[in-house]
Order: sequence, then C-alpha cells, then structure tokens
Amino acid sequence: MNYDYYDRNKGMQLAMAYVPFQRLNQVFDPKEALMNGTLFPELYMPYKRKGQDLDGGRYYE
Amino acid sequence: MSREQKQLLLEIMQYSFALVETNLYLDTHPYDERALKLHNSYSQKYNELLSLYEAKYGPLRYTQMSGCPWAYINDPWPWEIDFDVI
Repeated sequence: MNYDYYDRNKGMQLAMAYVPFQRLNQVFDPKEALMNGTLFPELYMPYKRKGQDLDGGRYYE
Repeated sequence: MSREQKQLLLEIMQYSFALVETNLYLDTHPYDERALKLHNSYSQKYNELLSLYEAKYGPLRYTQMSGCPWAYINDPWPWEIDFDVI
C-alpha cells in the first residue's frame, strides 16, 4: 500500500531515526561555543551552500 | 555601557551557555568524570564573574540584595545592549 507515496529510489525508509550515544571528546572554548550554538564540535553543523568553506572551531580542553 | 562592563557581561553569557551544554550532557552521562570536571570549572568561573559584575555594576538577578532604591530596575536592559560593538 502507498507504494509510490515517497521517492523510493533514494533507497531509504520514509522515517528511521537513530542517535548514537555521545562520548565527550574535545569542546569549543566558551566564547566559540556561544557563537557556534554548541559546545561540541561534533554537533556544529551550520547550513552552508556548496563550496562555501566550513570554518570549524578551534578545539579546547 | 562601558566596554569593560559589556565584555564582562559577554563572558558571563559565554560561561552560562557552556553550563547549559555541560548540564545537558551530564543529564545523560552522569558518571562522566571529565564532563563533571569541565562543568565544575565553568561553574566556578561563572560564579566568580557574576559576583564580580554584580559588585561593580549592580544586581543581574532579582535574587540579589540591593541598596535603596531597588537597583535591579536600573539600565541597561538586555535588549538595549548592542553586543556587535564591544
């Protein structure tokens, strides 16, 4: 049923969520964290157009 | 607002945000000692900066004591501060 409900050839289920258990590694320093919206570099995922350079933060521990 | 006051307030906001993050992480990782160490160092610094600010510029929190008149309502209010110009 609903075979053509979504674009099947993407080879993915309609909705299948998973969240791996985070392990603390390095963190941004507080200044960068506030600007980046997260303390964790692994969660820093700004929406960028293709080709725009992704300026990752400096690591601090 | 003086440059120094704004810089101090910004630093308080930075540590406050970092504490939100370590809090969220610790909620799901209560035994992570490194995260606890990190959280406690942010907390110590945050409390230091807060008392320094409040001693110099007046209460940031309604829970603080005040001279007369009630100092909590003095300017500037958060929406009046331009953080783009430090």
